[in-house]
Amino acid sequence: MAFPSLRPSSRSFDAGDYPIKTYKTQNGSEVRILYGNRRTNMKMALSYENITDAQAELFLDHYDEMKGTFTTFAIASQLQNVAAKTGWEGSHDAIGAGASGNAYRYEGPPQVQQVRSGISTVTVNLIGVL
Amino acid sequence: MAKVYTGRDGRLLIDGTEQIKVTNWSLTGSLEVLETTTLGDDQRSYVPGVQEFSGSATLLYYNDGTGRNDAATALKKVLKIAGVQGTDTVDMRLRLVEGNTNHDVRLTAYITSVSFSAGVGEVSSAQISFQGTGALTGVTI
Repeated sequence: MAFPSLRPSSRSFDAGDYPIKTYKTQNGSEVRILYGNRRTNMKMALSYENITDAQAELFLDHYDEMKGTFTTFAIASQLQNVAAKTGWEGSHDAIGAGASGNAYRYEGPPQVQQVRSGISTVTVNLIGVL
Repeated sequence: MAKVYTGRDGRLLIDGTEQIKVTNWSLTGSLEVLETTTLGDDQRSYVPGVQEFSGSATLLYYNDGTGRNDAATALKKVLKIAGVQGTDTVDMRLRLVEGNTNHDVRLTAYITSVSFSAGVGEVSSAQISFQGTGALTGVTI
């Protein structure tokens, strides 16, 4: 089951960072050690406001199929589902995880807020992991 | 025949009883809308949410000589020692009359606020506000 192909109402993206360890020496200077050559830990928060309960259920089903936060998955590439990146007019790789060898997994359970009968708002938080 | 409605055509019924000495009433209906605009859209879009009905009325604090005082009856919906219960709803009918035809909006409501006062050189009156609960029970406007 693919990540639901719905256009979000809002999206935020945190580009993550390279695995860096930072030390402060006694004289105040900073030492940084780069432990890897791939950026990771990017975060994407997607909000789907006022969607039908049937659409909201797609996220719950997908979350269950991914064994919660266990399994990684791709939400988009240039060739597949791009709904989550709708509105972004730059390269889709820039707000993705795959270009750095990452894949997304759920950072936590999808949050479903019932707005009225049959209508819900869903918030999904994803995190890119190597 | 053309007809312009005025206050002379207005009536207010509470629990089936036409209220005496009503000086005004008003009703507001509103619809909450839920935005469904998504990224990539150029125009905002909405779906209907929940509706709400509320209004107000003013009645003279008037005793008709038989002990009937509709303003007092309405005031007692809130001004009561025992507190307001879930069953303390009223059947409101806001009416405009045209000959034998009644143009009604009917709803079940809670009276949510009341006020009355006395002042030198003024006729005492009671102002009530009501909040509809549930769907309208009749619309014949």
